[in-house]
Amino acid sequence: MSASEGYLMVSLFAIPLGTALLLMLVPSRERGAIMAVTGLSSLVLFILSVYLFARYDYTSQEQFQGVVAWDWLQNVGFLGDHGIQLKVGMDGISAAMVLLTGIITLAGTWVSWKIQHRTKDFFILLYVLIAGVYGTFVMLDLFFFFLLYETALLPMYLLIAVWGSTRKEYGAMKLMMMLVAASILIFTAVFAIFTEANLGTFDMTKLFGAHYDPRMQKIFFPMIALGCGTLGGMWPFHSWSPDGHAAAPTAVSMLHAGVLMKLGAFGIIRLGFQILPEGAAFWAPGLITVGITAALYGAISALRQTDMKLMSGFSSVSHMGYVFMGLGTLNVVGMTGSVLQMFAHGVMTALFFLLIGGMYDQSHNRDLPNFSGMAKQMPIWTIFFVLGGLASLGLPGLSGFVAELHIFVGAFRVYPVVGGLAVLTAAITATYLVRMFAQAFFGEFNPRWNALRDITWTERAGAGVLALSMLALGLWPSPWVDRIANTLARSIPGVSL
Amino acid sequence: MSMEQAGVLIIIPAAAFVLVALFHKVLPRQGDWIVVLALAAVVAIGMLVVVDFQRVWEHGEFVPHGANRFAFDWVNIHQGVFQIEFSTYVDSITAVMIVVVSIVALMVAVYSVGYMHGEARYGWYFAALSLFVTAMLTLVLAGNLLMVYFAWEGVGVASFLLIGFYWERQSAAEAAKKAFITTRIGDVGLLIGIVLLWRASGTFDIQEIIKIAQAGGFDHTYLTVSMLFLFLGAVGKSAQFPLHVWLPDAMEGPTPVSALIHAATMVVAGVYLVARMMPVFNEVPIAREVVLYTGLVTAVMAATMGLVATDIKRVLAFSTVSQLGFMFVALGLGAVGIAMFHLFTHAFFKALLFLGSGSVIHATHQQEVGYLGGLRKKMPITTVTFIIGSLALAGVMPLAGFWSKDEILHATMEHAPLTVFLLLAGSAMLTAIYSTRLVLLTFFGEPKDQHAYDHAHESPWLMSVPLLILATLATVSGFVVFHGVGTALGFPGGIGEVIFEHEPEVFHFNAMFAAGAVGSSLVGIAIGYIYWGGTAERATRALSWAPELHQLLLRRYYIDEMYQAIIDRVILGLASVVSTFEKRVVNESGIDGGAQLINWFGYRLKFLQTGKIPNYALAMAIGVITLAVLAFRSE
Repeated sequence: MSASEGYLMVSLFAIPLGTALLLMLVPSRERGAIMAVTGLSSLVLFILSVYLFARYDYTSQEQFQGVVAWDWLQNVGFLGDHGIQLKVGMDGISAAMVLLTGIITLAGTWVSWKIQHRTKDFFILLYVLIAGVYGTFVMLDLFFFFLLYETALLPMYLLIAVWGSTRKEYGAMKLMMMLVAASILIFTAVFAIFTEANLGTFDMTKLFGAHYDPRMQKIFFPMIALGCGTLGGMWPFHSWSPDGHAAAPTAVSMLHAGVLMKLGAFGIIRLGFQILPEGAAFWAPGLITVGITAALYGAISALRQTDMKLMSGFSSVSHMGYVFMGLGTLNVVGMTGSVLQMFAHGVMTALFFLLIGGMYDQSHNRDLPNFSGMAKQMPIWTIFFVLGGLASLGLPGLSGFVAELHIFVGAFRVYPVVGGLAVLTAAITATYLVRMFAQAFFGEFNPRWNALRDITWTERAGAGVLALSMLALGLWPSPWVDRIANTLARSIPGVSL
Repeated sequence: MSMEQAGVLIIIPAAAFVLVALFHKVLPRQGDWIVVLALAAVVAIGMLVVVDFQRVWEHGEFVPHGANRFAFDWVNIHQGVFQIEFSTYVDSITAVMIVVVSIVALMVAVYSVGYMHGEARYGWYFAALSLFVTAMLTLVLAGNLLMVYFAWEGVGVASFLLIGFYWERQSAAEAAKKAFITTRIGDVGLLIGIVLLWRASGTFDIQEIIKIAQAGGFDHTYLTVSMLFLFLGAVGKSAQFPLHVWLPDAMEGPTPVSALIHAATMVVAGVYLVARMMPVFNEVPIAREVVLYTGLVTAVMAATMGLVATDIKRVLAFSTVSQLGFMFVALGLGAVGIAMFHLFTHAFFKALLFLGSGSVIHATHQQEVGYLGGLRKKMPITTVTFIIGSLALAGVMPLAGFWSKDEILHATMEHAPLTVFLLLAGSAMLTAIYSTRLVLLTFFGEPKDQHAYDHAHESPWLMSVPLLILATLATVSGFVVFHGVGTALGFPGGIGEVIFEHEPEVFHFNAMFAAGAVGSSLVGIAIGYIYWGGTAERATRALSWAPELHQLLLRRYYIDEMYQAIIDRVILGLASVVSTFEKRVVNESGIDGGAQLINWFGYRLKFLQTGKIPNYALAMAIGVITLAVLAFRSE
């Protein structure tokens, strides 16, 4: 990778911002133009994401590739040389996350075309959000990192409160309050890192190598873990997630559960593990405890849910629990599993929300006991749903298994009991999903739903992209594993092989 | 086709699956011929692989982990820190499994063309069938425990899809769910066992693990625990007590599927796994004891339940569970060859019995024995082949089942406590009794449901030819262990010698013992005949004779009810507790409570800002005085 790829990384967040600006100029009644602009933009972003993922060279010793930088502010006040720069670059972890964002942007855009209410405004906000997500993943300047992180969060409120359903004001408010409160912790930690490093710069490549007092690390790592963890749905600060997801419109649920929650986990790796490794090592047992608790708690809660979106929300809590658990193992296998799980869960949960949304838009009902035998009326929908469910319960050959296997193995290396509990969680996951299959898709068809149609072509295309991604990671995981594992081993001091 | 190229066996049905699954709507005949042709190719290539193995074996060139292996990296972190290879491995156990899986699969596919004719989702059925065969062949060719797990789950999901094939029926949906979840509990154990073995050895490769175990590279207790977890997987998949509950319900699937998946191939995966890992089990005698007694309890218990079941397929399902128990008893004694031999013969005669019952169901649309009877006049081929299968199951000489069951009983007598032998022999006699009952109630006596009887007809050739072929195999497959038969079939080294390679003593035949075994089978058949041979009323006599016992057996020892109660009370109860905690503590107290607290403070504090100058002046005065006092005190 060279600087030319760096310019492409800049375009990853410049294109969605440009799209948002362009949409402002399009009259809102021109639905065709809106679809053309967003469709083209999402396609370009997808291709760019795949290209950048493929181009990342994991054999190279260079950790950050395609680095380009422009100075923004320097030598004023507390800032020294290159104080604040627009600096982008990728490592193996952000490569995987960029790919994930590309996939979900594509699918999410397509399924949102059916929105009738204020379509233009919806897409403007959605693309600002996407710009924030892409930007955070590729940004190598702490200041802009935080700025774009917040940029990704804020459109959420309006997207849910205006286009949502089911207690949308409550869901949007709860989500925003919790996430903004958590951001205060991150903000504090960001300045603590800047001050402690005492380099006068927010350049992350310099901050990674700086010296931090171990006591400072132990104090500020949990701030980052809680701050970013809340966005990642970390138990017990997860409760915005089921309510938020239940309230959000389809594409927003997809982007939120699919990508934004990963931003939280990504933040823990970037700010926590890569900058404050000793703090991370100190708190790793805590992360494992929280992770396995979340995994079990989410799975057991999901057993009792009848609302499909709530079930999927708790399932997300459970699956994100695996991510934190894998991070806490402090070995390359387990942590690789975490990043794989971020990808796998992102794709899978986006598929779930796409399908549940496709159903809800027609039936205005998400309550499982109301459905039965839906496979008769909506066969394609059912096939995709079962595929997503099988990925979720960790069926080999699909994405979830690869990720979970790495996490289990990593956990078994440090605490076999935790590993055993994690495997057990996978069985509970199987229980609630298969119960849902048997209830909603199989059995005698309930004629109340005679008027429902199978999912539309745009939904099929979106679901198809997501399903293919699940299969790709599940059947041929090494492109992901090689990139992620090499980066982790190289960039986090003290991580065991 | 040599052993290293055995991976082709996986690719062919996989390609058929992809083709038929995606295009069955546009393919002529919904693509059934693709699957049949693919499976025929699998049989042919499978035989070539087995012959190649035989050749190498015969020349004494067989090296475990040698040229019989093909591997590529699936995941490899840092050159071997965490390496998952996909590797195929062929030895005698694999050879037996290839023969069983490929032949039964082809028979079932041909039979299905007739049986499933005109069904909705006909193409999807064949796609799922080839998915199953793909996973099953991957399982038997796997050289690596993780690949075993991969395929293990694959056959599980194919089984789930096929049990739930008639998903409009609530009972089929429930059965599919039950099968998936129950086996999944076993799979938890399997995965834990695999990862524990990896943790101590750093490899997933089966032969490497065996080498390390034999060299004493594992801590003994650690290895025992790992192997017990591994065995839990086998218990789930092979429907052994206490995870046997799913198999009888799995009969909701189409009958050819029951023959292939739930009699001949998938359910023996547990036997295969334990046989494959036997050198490791040999290092930990306690684990082997557990295998032995699990098998014994299952063999006896399932045979008693088979006595009273009224659904023709469920009787066969209980019989399968019981026979799998026999195989595990053999494994518990360390007799891999004997277990594999019984697996081999059982596959043919049990597949035959299931396909025969399918023929009956196809003809009468009835599967309760209470509504059948007298079918021998209408369905001669089905009747004769079914009787052959039943006699083989009952262990009558010289049919296939006799040879293998005799070996198991003989091994039990020599190497196990007397009680074990007696219980197992008793359960062998029960086998004879329930198979006689099934034959009598289905094919003999008076028709109990005239409508079903009138409707009955012999099945089409597509169905009866597989029956005839399997009947032949059920007759002769026991003989192959004899050296002469093996060489005559073109295996210069004989077949028995290869199957029994693991045993200190090769296959042997004890005439006295055999006479005793056949005698006991005949007694069993006689008891069955006396009891059920006469009028219809006699068949229900057990009801009046010992109603509680009858009820106990009919309700399957209340184990299913117990599990249901555990799920409803304990697990869903726990889920309710967690949900309530989530609602009350996390949400209402934590998040909303926090918000309300802030709200409350805001409400209280707002009264400080009254807008009245005297209030502010008072506050200011208090401030000034306080500061003044503090200033003076510090001086």
